[in-house]
Amino acid sequence: MAKQAKKLVIVTEKILLKKIANIIAECGATGYTVVETGGKGSRNVRSSGQPNVSDTQANIKFEVITENRDMAQNIADKIAVNFFNDYAGIAYICDAEVLYAHTFCGPDGC
Amino acid sequence: MDFLSDFFTKFGAQLQSPTLGFLIGGIVIAAFGSQLQIPDAIYKFIVFMLLIKVGLSGGIAIRNSNLTEMLLPALFAVVMGILIVFIGRYTLAKMPNVKTVDAIATAGLFGAVSGSTLAAGITVLEAQGIEYEAWAGALYPFMDIPALVTAIVVASIHTSKKRDKYFSEEEYLSKQPVAAGEYPSGQEYPTTRQEYLSQQRGTANKVEIWPIVQESLQGSALSALLLGLALGILTRPESVFESFYEPLFRGLLSILMLVMGMEAWSRIGELRKVGQWYAIYAFFAPLLHGFIAFGLGMIAHYVTNFSAGGVALLAIIAASSSDISGPPTLRAGIPSANPSAYIGASTAVGTPVAIALGIPLYIGLAQALMGG
Repeated sequence: MAKQAKKLVIVTEKILLKKIANIIAECGATGYTVVETGGKGSRNVRSSGQPNVSDTQANIKFEVITENRDMAQNIADKIAVNFFNDYAGIAYICDAEVLYAHTFCGPDGC
Repeated sequence: MDFLSDFFTKFGAQLQSPTLGFLIGGIVIAAFGSQLQIPDAIYKFIVFMLLIKVGLSGGIAIRNSNLTEMLLPALFAVVMGILIVFIGRYTLAKMPNVKTVDAIATAGLFGAVSGSTLAAGITVLEAQGIEYEAWAGALYPFMDIPALVTAIVVASIHTSKKRDKYFSEEEYLSKQPVAAGEYPSGQEYPTTRQEYLSQQRGTANKVEIWPIVQESLQGSALSALLLGLALGILTRPESVFESFYEPLFRGLLSILMLVMGMEAWSRIGELRKVGQWYAIYAFFAPLLHGFIAFGLGMIAHYVTNFSAGGVALLAIIAASSSDISGPPTLRAGIPSANPSAYIGASTAVGTPVAIALGIPLYIGLAQALMGG
């Protein structure tokens, strides 16, 4: 029995990890997954594998499963307003169906 | 003339040191597109090892020495950290096509201290058998923290002034020329529903100093150094120091230098985008900062008998620019500054100049002037 949910994906700079994790928690999401990542965007190739001793080139990707679109959008707004003027970053929302998460509550209740 | 010939002989000898050799080697193989990779974990560990070694020897020295001797050099280190930011603020920031926040961040990074340059300087001093106060390594935080704090405060004052202007006269939006990168300077970023929200941003323009200090203390370089210091003062680490940290020090430093060389090459491309003023600043600033610190060190030499090696080391840390712990602090503290500008300037030009020219220059000068 799949539960409808939204998946919010945020790709941004690694040094924002803690701050974004705090925002996600504040907005009421119960969890998130974060992976180190890299790629190319408006700020050129980042996390390119070239030597980088200061960690300022490293990127991370957050995935947050939320019960509804509002929460996802709320998180994305806060992050965009606080950081995306000055830091590399993109946020997007996808539809998701949660299959086996016994603690996850969808719009229809737990 | 003796002075000059003596100086140039020593300067020439320094150029053959392994430290510099590995640095140049790193630049050369990166330039040839070598696939050589040193894993991240390795050089993070090396930085830890080097700074804990410097900390331990400093701690042991502090335990056995008279602390009042440290006061004047420590004061001079603080003065240098602050002064370097203002020098950058009133030189680099005045250049055409240089954004003021970028210039302040660059100056802050040059004021901050590089653990690898410090370690390289210590190795050269030891290799030459020059006496120096082992606690001189402990001057690191006295220069590092004031520089980062000053840079972040000065930049915040600058941006909040600009913001006030923006709210009083709308025409501020006639944007500054973009000095760097291929991305826009930022103002028009949230084009969607965030635009109205972004107006709320910038109400808080008070700069809190303590979080900046805390962040630099928690950075990997300073925590290792301070831990070493504390262990050196409070425990008796001589056995592990002599059997483990001391013998590994030089070998590990050579690997770190190789990585720094490779990184220097990979940042040159970014530096090219931000323009020639950064490169010119990054070339001359380390030498100028070192000379000022050398002068202050000479005062300490005459007043409190600060050794020639110590004076050279003070000049070396003033000439160095942070590579590892400074950039993340500045990135978080001055978000609007372009990291390509300050990291490019520091890593691609500043550090190689400080190591290749600065270290032999100040040590040679100290020997020539004080016969260390």
